[in-house]
Amino acid sequence: MTIRNVRDHGQRYRPRMSCLKKMEAVVLEMQDPKTGVKSQTQRLVITTIPHAITGEDIVEWIANRFKIDAAEARAMGTMMVAFGYIYPLQDHKRLILKPDTSLYRFQTPYFWPAQQWPVEDTDYAIYLAKRNIRKKGLLELHEQEQYNNLHKWMNHKWDFIVMQAKEQYRAGKERKKPDRVVFDCQERAYWVVHRPPPGTISGMDCGLERMVDPNQEEKKTSEYFRRIIIFTQQCIMRPRVKSSVSIGALVKYTTTYKQHDPFLYPCLPSNPWLTDDVTYWHLNMPNVENPTKMRVERWTFSFGELLSDPRGRADFRLFLKKEFSGENLAFWEACEDLKWGAAATMQEKAQQIYKTFLARGAPRWINIDGKTMEITVKGLSHPHRYVLDAAQTHIYMLMKKDSYGRYLKSPVFKETQKKAVAPEAHKFSEAQLEQNAKKRRPSLSPIILRQQEEEQKAKLAASGPVDITQLCRYTAPVPHLAVYTGICENQTTASPGLMTLPNSAACPSPISVAIDSTPASERRFDSGPTSSHFPSIAESTEASVSEESQPPAAKSRVALSLSRLLRRGCNAPSVFASLSPKCAVTAGGGKVQPLGEPLAQPQPKRIANFFQIKVDIPPECRIYPIDSEDEEEESPGAARGGVKEIICPWETVTKHDGAG
Amino acid sequence: MPLSNAKVADGTSAHPLQEGQTMVDSLTKVVACYRHLASCIGSSTDSASLRQELRQTRERAQKLALSCRNHLTARLRDKALSEEDRKETELQWVAFSSCLELFHADMCKVYHIGNCFSVAKNSAMVQTGMQGGATEVAARALSMPDLQEHSDVQTASMEGLDQSQLEQEIAQVDCTLEDMEMKVNVLRWTVEARGPQYADPVSADSASLALLSVDEDVSGSFCDRSQMFVVLLLCGVAVVAVVLSVCVVFLA
Repeated sequence: MTIRNVRDHGQRYRPRMSCLKKMEAVVLEMQDPKTGVKSQTQRLVITTIPHAITGEDIVEWIANRFKIDAAEARAMGTMMVAFGYIYPLQDHKRLILKPDTSLYRFQTPYFWPAQQWPVEDTDYAIYLAKRNIRKKGLLELHEQEQYNNLHKWMNHKWDFIVMQAKEQYRAGKERKKPDRVVFDCQERAYWVVHRPPPGTISGMDCGLERMVDPNQEEKKTSEYFRRIIIFTQQCIMRPRVKSSVSIGALVKYTTTYKQHDPFLYPCLPSNPWLTDDVTYWHLNMPNVENPTKMRVERWTFSFGELLSDPRGRADFRLFLKKEFSGENLAFWEACEDLKWGAAATMQEKAQQIYKTFLARGAPRWINIDGKTMEITVKGLSHPHRYVLDAAQTHIYMLMKKDSYGRYLKSPVFKETQKKAVAPEAHKFSEAQLEQNAKKRRPSLSPIILRQQEEEQKAKLAASGPVDITQLCRYTAPVPHLAVYTGICENQTTASPGLMTLPNSAACPSPISVAIDSTPASERRFDSGPTSSHFPSIAESTEASVSEESQPPAAKSRVALSLSRLLRRGCNAPSVFASLSPKCAVTAGGGKVQPLGEPLAQPQPKRIANFFQIKVDIPPECRIYPIDSEDEEEESPGAARGGVKEIICPWETVTKHDGAG
Repeated sequence: MPLSNAKVADGTSAHPLQEGQTMVDSLTKVVACYRHLASCIGSSTDSASLRQELRQTRERAQKLALSCRNHLTARLRDKALSEEDRKETELQWVAFSSCLELFHADMCKVYHIGNCFSVAKNSAMVQTGMQGGATEVAARALSMPDLQEHSDVQTASMEGLDQSQLEQEIAQVDCTLEDMEMKVNVLRWTVEARGPQYADPVSADSASLALLSVDEDVSGSFCDRSQMFVVLLLCGVAVVAVVLSVCVVFLA
């Protein structure tokens, strides 16, 4: 009762075994009494057994038959032994062909390796049990281990195995003695081939199993021709590059990188794998203060190099911070996190990213063109890992074409370059090398490393992101400008780890970026409340980013916000009031929550509400006309910080279009 | 699990459990013998009689398998079976299906090899060093003390017939196996073996075996022992001869 795995999709053919058929033919040729290999008799103590052949005869025969030299014939003979067609009578564990008078014998066809029948563990178990009987419990170590394993694995048929072993043993005893010896030798040889003792190379190593039998000729049916046609069509359609171009690329790559390849040029100070001295690794840690000169040089090769090196990325982040365009990098990192992160938090992350970067009036709004924005927003209604791919690529190219060049000319980079370390090469003597080898220690456990990483991320996140809405309250920067002025003090480094802490200041209260207030006011100014404010949002997202339609509303909002401010006396640092049309007034909500404080609000509730389809303004909806907002804000359930929630517009789009 | 006698004839014990056990045991025996016979095919001992024996053993196994299957299926589908009995029957079931699988594998191999090595056409057999036939094994399988000699002639047509029959039987066993899986639901992980992990070393004629297993590393000592014995004998003879000659010299 074998547990059959029926889900192997028919992959039972072992690919490199197509030589077996050919070998069988050769073995049969060797049998010929006239033209085959000379056979001798093996003399045992009391009996003789015929059909033994010497190694040198085999080699000679093969060399003659195939017209090859002795060395190659020997190799071929060894292959035959390794596959189990011939087995050695002495030294049975070493499956090689010795070109001397050592004796070999042909294996019976029953024990030949076969393409279509994989070797069963049940048979092996029975064999071991038989051997155990014969040798009275004296199995070799690896056999013992295997026996125990099989006993555990096939416990349910163990009684059967023991019984069968006994029966086979008894049946074997019925035979004549020489035949018994031969049979035992055959069986032993078979199992040496198929369950090689540890340390020996197995000739049966064949890789993954395939669905198609390689020995079989494929019938030329219409299916076959259809496949061939598709294959050739795809070959034709494949994009081609001139070899001069591709070779040129290779040459360029090698010239650029050759000095950085530890195989071609010596590492500085020394290659830890060769000298056991880990200075090199310490100098190249991800968060080292001063990177090495080689590392800095690598950053100049391409933007990808810069981004993939954590130290380089940190440097770039610093530069962007100085230029006040850190949101691009933050967005890019957030997208990476979404792509590579856990599936459970994907939806939340997508929402956070939208709220922080993409929504109108978002605190760290990034500049992508309308079409990409449209695609992204549409995709976000059914978020998946790669929903932000288009936007991410856009931002990446933006950074690459624009910021990267400036970075390389910037003082930040030049400073880093100046401070870069250029270590001297170590010159260890033999004795020192030995000492180094003795002092080898394992490096930090990956668990600890990961914890350190997480801590760092948390630190960065806690230090708050750059919030463009927290700028001068009296300026009205156009939202689609990537660069803002007047950052508040609090916002220091952008936080790449932003997205990992959904409850962090990702959505700073001032997020009262009330897109809600926008529509609210719009609603007020537009003709009567439409059934939902959403159309306005929908329109705005569809329209190009620069909103000409907003200014009139903006003014009123400015006024409103001012009044609000006066009324509420918000904390200075936390006021954002970028009376940009995007950013509404600080959530009139009483105290504005300063950035950096994690939102202690019922975030989950928000998220749960996030995608609620809001038809008419239900009472608990936070999208109220600004005046009444304040009162409503105080109601329970609203944030302590009176944060307005950005309602994702795809709800509208959904509703609006009537389709999903 | 007591291993009952090879003869099935007395499987008329009232207790169905015992009956099932007997049947399974005999099937195991027949399958073991079939395996021995199958290992001879294509080798130097392959002959018409071997094929004949194979066929007979096969038929016997089929018969046994059929009766066993019917018995066990009936038992296992009987809802009114006690727990203890059910466990025993399940063990028998596992043994039975494993037997059948082995048998199936052997039949496939025999079929395949039989196609390549045809006795009737006198194709070259592999010289494996086997000399005697496996008649005794077949006799054991068929529970007959003696097997009458069959004619050594087997024509191509007979062989063809044999092969096709074998093919059919393979298909049949295949069906049986599938049917078994469908009809009776025995959960493999609930079946626990009751026997010992190690088969009791049968106190067989180790001496004779030792003499023959010259090729093994362990057998080196046995070899030496026998050689030493011979050497001692010779030495003794030589000493006696010396003593005698000394006596002769002295007396003469």
